[in-house]
Amino acid sequence: MIERNVTYANGEQKKVYIPLTDICETPDNYSLKMEVPGAARENIDIVIEDDELRVTVKSADEETEDTLKYSEFGTRDFYRAFRVGNEIDRNKIEAKLENGVLNILLSKTEKVKPKKIQITHN
Amino acid sequence: MYNYNLFDNMFQLKGLFDDFFRETAYEPVSGMPPVRIYSSDDRVIVRALVPGIEPDNIDMQIIEDNLVISGEKKSDYSADTYIRKERRFGGFKRSIKLPYRVNTETVKADLINGVLTITLQKSEEAKPKKIEIN
Repeated sequence: MIERNVTYANGEQKKVYIPLTDICETPDNYSLKMEVPGAARENIDIVIEDDELRVTVKSADEETEDTLKYSEFGTRDFYRAFRVGNEIDRNKIEAKLENGVLNILLSKTEKVKPKKIQITHN
Repeated sequence: MYNYNLFDNMFQLKGLFDDFFRETAYEPVSGMPPVRIYSSDDRVIVRALVPGIEPDNIDMQIIEDNLVISGEKKSDYSADTYIRKERRFGGFKRSIKLPYRVNTETVKADLINGVLTITLQKSEEAKPKKIEIN
């Protein structure tokens, strides 16, 4: 997984994982699929501020009395910010968590959606 | 929607070279899925990151003291235009050597939020046995 140092909005500096993301565009919306394995719904924070969409996933502490013997990933937060511009309808953002994949659906505002113009008869 | 960053692309290029040289060398590649292994005297817990994979597409086998995880991550692409494609799909297979033989009857596997947790108990044969002198 890709790691990077980030500074959160509250000034806190942290090493986080950058979730792998697929972004797909349709005439009406943008759909994001981010891989956030191990993220519980209550630890995910999705914020849209100005023209930026920020996704933060707080890592949960592992509770086990067994000793860690080998590890290829750590317990880090996931964080990623996207510049979304001003063409997103802020009131129509949907998020869904499925099998460790976070789906975010951003709807475009009416004014940027393609519009078919009818030719009027004379 | 744009999040172009010159340095991102530079790092990606570096990654490409690194991957190329790593994959051509005869060295073990850190495989898919990434794992974390916990153990105590009588049990082993293996945690694997498998986001986006349905339970039906994961197969687990115990062969002697190895745990073999295999499966397929099916692509969920739609027909629309993609701005960014970073996730990877396809088949995977990974063999993990366990510290001791395990009881094949009591293996437990849970898939929660894209994390597969496999709990394996030490087999009776692998436990220390006291031998009495006649």
